[in-house]
Amino acid sequence: MIALNNVTKIYKLGKQEKITALDAVNLSVKEGELVVLRGASGSGKSTILSLIAALSKPTSGEVRVDEKHIAKLPDHFASCYRRDNIGFIFQKYNLIANLSVKDNILLPLVPLNPDAREVEEKTEAVMKRFHIEHKRDTMVRNLSGGEQQRVAIARANVNNPKIILADEPTANLDEQLSNHFIEILRELKALGKTIIIATHDPLFFGLDFVDREIEIYKGKIAL
Amino acid sequence: MKNKFNIYLLEYAINALLRQKYKNFFIATVFTLLTFLLTSIFFITNSIRHELDATLEALPQIIVQKIKAGRHYDIDVAAMDEILAISGVSDVVARVWGYYYFENAGVNFSIVGIDKYEMQYKNSFIKLSENFDFDAINGGESMLIGKGVKRTMEQSYYSEYFNFIKPDGTLKKVQIAGVFDADTELESNDMIVMSKDLLREIFDIQESSATDLVVKVANPQEIPTIALKIKLSFPDTRIITNQDLQVSYQNIFDYKSGIFLALFVVALFTFFIIIYDKSSGLTSEEKREIGILKALGWTVDDVLKEKFYEAFLVSFFSYGLGVGLALAYVYILQAPLLSAIFVGYSQLKTSFELPFIFDFQTLFLVFFLSVPIYIAATLIPSWKIATLEADEVIR
Repeated sequence: MIALNNVTKIYKLGKQEKITALDAVNLSVKEGELVVLRGASGSGKSTILSLIAALSKPTSGEVRVDEKHIAKLPDHFASCYRRDNIGFIFQKYNLIANLSVKDNILLPLVPLNPDAREVEEKTEAVMKRFHIEHKRDTMVRNLSGGEQQRVAIARANVNNPKIILADEPTANLDEQLSNHFIEILRELKALGKTIIIATHDPLFFGLDFVDREIEIYKGKIAL
Repeated sequence: MKNKFNIYLLEYAINALLRQKYKNFFIATVFTLLTFLLTSIFFITNSIRHELDATLEALPQIIVQKIKAGRHYDIDVAAMDEILAISGVSDVVARVWGYYYFENAGVNFSIVGIDKYEMQYKNSFIKLSENFDFDAINGGESMLIGKGVKRTMEQSYYSEYFNFIKPDGTLKKVQIAGVFDADTELESNDMIVMSKDLLREIFDIQESSATDLVVKVANPQEIPTIALKIKLSFPDTRIITNQDLQVSYQNIFDYKSGIFLALFVVALFTFFIIIYDKSSGLTSEEKREIGILKALGWTVDDVLKEKFYEAFLVSFFSYGLGVGLALAYVYILQAPLLSAIFVGYSQLKTSFELPFIFDFQTLFLVFFLSVPIYIAATLIPSWKIATLEADEVIR
């Protein structure tokens, strides 16, 4: 389903300085698989998620999802691809702080211009599933870290995407909330979603429902 | 389905404006003030221009005034026959007019005498002499007054009649027969019209004299030549042609317009400073928000539409409010402070009302000078950010 073939990503920091985030990476993930990308900060885990979500383009190599060349998509179609296929849970959640929980969750639906009933049904469904419905009108800035994460998860699922990408999802959570997130992952896996998690949190290592753990080291897949 | 108006984008735009309410309130306030100032300047200028054009159009072609010791004196009406004999002159009218200083209010009234049997030198007087018979009211001792005069007289409780003080110190009671309604406020507002005989009595002007003579010329091209011939025949007179008056009026108007132009430039300059500030970049928070929306599947089109709604709501609301305030300020409140620049001599003349001239060109001009520029200044930096890779923007 997802395939990275010989992908290299180089970030330019200035006129001269460059950082190789990924170096000729090959990776494939099957539909319904849950893969944990392990590695230290700066190893390139997040870059892999970013390329799969078409948030950035590789310097070389190809990224394919369902046999489509994601890296070659023009910007407009890349946005449509994300909207239809990807649910992204960011490390810092990337919520709009001065919007309510519900308004944050419905953001991925806005470009689809759905009718009010559809919006209501979809947002209510994900708010209930991720236990945040009692805070629907609360401003996100007034939520705790755990609640914000649930909003981010609900937002990532409101379009019912096939692929869930989570970047350091427990980096800002205590152990109890992290364990709760792991339970949510188990539910999402049971729903048949393809899930890729980039993390260096040991809580994710050796979990029974994780299909594969891949170590990333200095932009390469460690053997 | 796809063409349906996206109410959620509009809702998001409104939310975005409210999230930065202090900043947007400040922008809307400045935008409204500038629109108000620009539109007010245009409205006042248009109104005054309209008044001026109407006044200039109504000016007599040639005025002949007797000058003695450098001052204007009453002229002998016998000169009329000699002037009529000049070829090209179609008519000559002896005017009786003057200023009456009303001490109570500290204002001057212009009083004009008309005779219904004579040719009238102004269109408004033709209508007046046809529709109104001074002799029929109060034995000829009646007058028509301008709106400004009416207001001023009523403030001193003269609502039915007015007592003129004659040069010999005696009073002349004249009944107010109605309000004079001429084509232009500038000339009629401080004006009183009555019969020539009555005015002669009030100003003590002899039957054989007139204040000045108005000469009508069949071919306007001949005005300078005929003016010269009159001057040669009557060396003790001053000849004023309508062209002289037009230049004089126009000079005053242009001088005042210069002050308005300075105000206009300052307002426009301030607006462009705001535009420059707006277009020179977004805050890191605004950039990040665009990145988040892109990451959630919004296209560049979606982002730009939302930003368009934001800019349109602020600019169109401010524009509408500014224009509305300008309309109220100029035409209801009569532009206090600003109009004084143009009608600064109102201490000696009764104030006039700015006539309502609704000029769509003005509204379009202010609209195109403000709203599209503001929208462009909002869209361009947003477009720059929205076309970057979302990952780069969020990081």
